[in-house]
Amino acid sequence: MKKLLAVLSYRIYYVWKRNLVSYKRFAIPTFIASMGEPLLYLVAMGIGLGSYMGLINGMPYLNFLAPGLLVSTAMFAATYECTFGAYVRMTVEKVYNALIVTPLTVEEVVAGEILWGMTRSMFSGFIMLIVLLLFGIAHWSSFLLMPLVWMAVGFFFSSLAIIITSFAPNFDFFTYYLELFITPMFFFSGVFFPLDRMPAVVKVIARFLPLTYAVDISRAFIRGPLGWNILRDFVILLVSASILFIWALHQMKKRLIK
Amino acid sequence: MSEKTMIEVKDLVKKFNGLTAVAGISFNVQRGECLGILGPNGAGKTTTVRVIQCISPATSGTVSVLGMRASLDERRIRALLGVVPQENDIDPDLTVNENLELFAALFDIPRKVAQARIMEHLEFVELKERADNKIGSLSGGMKRRLLVARALLNEPSIMILDEPTTGLDPQARHLIWQRLRALKNKGVTIILNTHYMEEAQQLCDRLLILDKGSILKEGIPQELVKNEVGEEVVEVRNHEGVKDVLRKLQGLEFNSEVVGDTLYLYCHESKDILTRLATSETLSVLRRLATLEDVFLKLTGRGLSE
Repeated sequence: MKKLLAVLSYRIYYVWKRNLVSYKRFAIPTFIASMGEPLLYLVAMGIGLGSYMGLINGMPYLNFLAPGLLVSTAMFAATYECTFGAYVRMTVEKVYNALIVTPLTVEEVVAGEILWGMTRSMFSGFIMLIVLLLFGIAHWSSFLLMPLVWMAVGFFFSSLAIIITSFAPNFDFFTYYLELFITPMFFFSGVFFPLDRMPAVVKVIARFLPLTYAVDISRAFIRGPLGWNILRDFVILLVSASILFIWALHQMKKRLIK
Repeated sequence: MSEKTMIEVKDLVKKFNGLTAVAGISFNVQRGECLGILGPNGAGKTTTVRVIQCISPATSGTVSVLGMRASLDERRIRALLGVVPQENDIDPDLTVNENLELFAALFDIPRKVAQARIMEHLEFVELKERADNKIGSLSGGMKRRLLVARALLNEPSIMILDEPTTGLDPQARHLIWQRLRALKNKGVTIILNTHYMEEAQQLCDRLLILDKGSILKEGIPQELVKNEVGEEVVEVRNHEGVKDVLRKLQGLEFNSEVVGDTLYLYCHESKDILTRLATSETLSVLRRLATLEDVFLKLTGRGLSE
């Protein structure tokens, strides 16, 4: 821990700020990339498919679907930012190379990137929540609690994405990560259907998918009821994210310092 | 380590996956000195300076900057360095000004001081009009000059430049040389990696010639030329055979080397050689002063190293 604090400092903020300044120029395309998918599902499945379905867990399908999409968008934003985005900065633009010959440490560069990934999660979550408010699915009070979930989701998926990036030999590598991990998780963590009536195997697998916990929290925040199990879900998310964070710092250092 | 020593490299070895990039080199850099590290591609120049920048840990041996160990004091060492890397790493997502603002912040330079310094350095490298431009609109030479401006923001006591003029046109190259000389006059210590002999001759007080990770020779440019190849070179082409030419020159003092169609004669005084060769009308004879390039080629060989 002491060692970790020695290599992390307020300079993380400068890395974050660098990304913010650059983001202003690319806001719209990157935004569409991370928002598009969940929004598409909301309209196509929530409204399209939902109109043919009865109530799920006592609510219209659109209302069931919305809280899950609200955290999925945060997952996608962090994932795209810390895979493709980070990889471009690292290999094409050589941003990391430039930063690490200043008093900055590799750990600070990585922590700044993860902090930025969390910020992107927040942005996407906020916009999605505004959309849900317009649909009349969410209440404005969700703006108070939801940022906690977006931060946790952003922390987890940014850290994991940085680890993937540290191993990536090329862009194709991310396609595997997205298709073999992120997309299946999107479908099997209770976003689209309740897990309680699924076969035991699916339930067990879902318990190993971090998004499942985020979806549970989000659903409780949007629809209620709020119970102690939410706290447990948060702890699971944050502890696993912290472990990934430390691993991400370590792996990226291995890639950059040779 | 004397008070004047800025950098001390001792028995530095660097291996990558078992391949030796630097094979145990030792040298010092004195305050205010410009040290040139010369060598063909793959000689270990970049690896050596990367260890000094604390972004590549030594396999064995030690590197100290102002008494601080590279392996222990990376933040404090890097705060003293101005680095112009071989590969352009100006941030293309930011403008010229934003790039410099970011770097000033990273070195903890207060905003107001930074603003003044940015303008001053942009003027120094003749890029003042470009402050708000995007990086994509700059030419290769402008990007290099911007790298120099960026490296100066923290007013470094040591500048490390890795092939700063590779790929530049003569105008841009001379401008950078001018600026480096100005820095040297201000007392900045400089390490310059290059494979341009003219650059080394123009700027460096002392040279290390590196090949395959080892130091082949070390010395002051003029003395290296004088000791290694002499003062003059006579290049002979269109000869009917090297032996015939050498027979004509029997008794004279010189070194010779044959490369392709050319016979090189290295000597201190070429007058006698020229007189004897003048008897043949078919020979093409060119006399010139010996340069660092002759030393370089003699020491590192004329074959391609890669």
